[in-house]
Amino acid sequence: LNGTDELGAGQSIQKTYDLTRYLEHQLRTLAGTYLNYLGPPFNEPDFNPPRLARAERVPSATVDLELWRGLTDNARLAANYRAYSRLLCYLRGLDGQAGTAELRHSLGHFCSSLQGLVVSIAGVMSSLGYPLPAGTAAGPPAPAGTPATPNDFLKKMDDFWLLKELQTWLWRSAKDFNRLKKKVPPAVVTLRLEARGF
Amino acid sequence: ALVQSCGHIIPESPVLALGSNFTALCILNESCLDFGNIYANQIIWKIKNRLVPKEQYREINRTVSSVTFNDTSSLATPLTCNILADGQIEQNIYGITVTLGLPPEKPKNLSCIVHQVSKLTYPMTCTWNPGRHTFLDTQFRLKYRWPREDFPDCIPKDANNSCTITDVQFFVNLEVWVEAANALGKAESDRLVFDPIEIVKPLSPHNLSVNSGILPSVLKLSWENRISAAVMKLKFNIRYRIIGETDWMQIPPEDTASPRTSFSVQSLRPYTEYAFSIRCMKEDGVGYWSDWSEEKTGMTTED
Repeated sequence: LNGTDELGAGQSIQKTYDLTRYLEHQLRTLAGTYLNYLGPPFNEPDFNPPRLARAERVPSATVDLELWRGLTDNARLAANYRAYSRLLCYLRGLDGQAGTAELRHSLGHFCSSLQGLVVSIAGVMSSLGYPLPAGTAAGPPAPAGTPATPNDFLKKMDDFWLLKELQTWLWRSAKDFNRLKKKVPPAVVTLRLEARGF
Repeated sequence: ALVQSCGHIIPESPVLALGSNFTALCILNESCLDFGNIYANQIIWKIKNRLVPKEQYREINRTVSSVTFNDTSSLATPLTCNILADGQIEQNIYGITVTLGLPPEKPKNLSCIVHQVSKLTYPMTCTWNPGRHTFLDTQFRLKYRWPREDFPDCIPKDANNSCTITDVQFFVNLEVWVEAANALGKAESDRLVFDPIEIVKPLSPHNLSVNSGILPSVLKLSWENRISAAVMKLKFNIRYRIIGETDWMQIPPEDTASPRTSFSVQSLRPYTEYAFSIRCMKEDGVGYWSDWSEEKTGMTTED
């Protein structure tokens, strides 16, 4: 463990929870702005398209809640870690030249925050002694036969579903970390903060 | 080459630490020996045309002469190797430039602050003490990383004691340190580990408005906070003075120590104009106070 890994479990989970709420806050504004950039029908409130095969590759946030609750902390953290690692890859695929400079900045800031969440979840797993899921960095390749550069509408559909799934993942992760926070009493905090010499 | 030099000096263009010792060798070409009838014992060393005392020379063999300096502080550029050939004509064989300096010291007093610039832009500026002057081209780099994630170094622009990272993230501990390097060595500062959320100087509240109420001794302030509650909860300081007077009075901090966007100031003098100003910081007191907001005035009603 080095300086930045030496947070105790309790504090690590609290920070991860705070970061998840911060991401939710950013996404509330970002999603609306980005969907307006995509334009109709994507920015219409009642737009609810079917999930096409392409969008299947974005980690779906739809899970059986009983099943999800029944998972061990380790399994749930691992599922979160894998999902955000892949969601981060897709997020980086969003149109980097999107709309205004402010939208691009918000997108960049959100991307960095999500990258921070992946690092943070890894920190929580490490502080609880759980192994990290292997090989989750890259997003899965497009299935055979999928056009490398889908037409504009299909690409926008992908972006739409990505933002939708992100909102649900973050909403549920905040609950996961809030619940985990209560399960890991501060006493477990093994703060070794000699590195924090400022 | 048209004119072939009759020898050379090693090391070629050394960078030397001030106060250290140094030895150079002048090596004559065999071809010149036969042709010019010259030997190493005829070599004369000069610093900027000033003769180096002979006690510092040593003839290594018939083609190599060395010169030694116990303290490089007496050295200067150029250091030349010359021959006093037949007929006492002094010929220059070779010359080198000598650069003197010091290795970098360990950068000290590293500290960082995040200045909020807009709703979602948080540049972080770190400053440090670069240590003594090194007389050499010394590069400073601000290095920072998350666990399992390195970021590109922040390379200072026309300064050697500060660097600004354009946009930092909150709620993930960051490890930060400074590295100084020049031709004579490298040094690293102590490492800081912190969550950037703990060193934020938020933007001051804005759109402050002052409204008189029903009571002549009360004025109601309201304002907008420019940092989101998802980033941090705020506490406030509110100060006010009577227009025309210079002394500020301040609301007891404990009365404004929680998140809010308005406050009613009590016990004011009726029918009097007041100026108000407000500042904010993280509720738990970790971080920095914002600047004071722009002043806004308001008048209490008549009694």
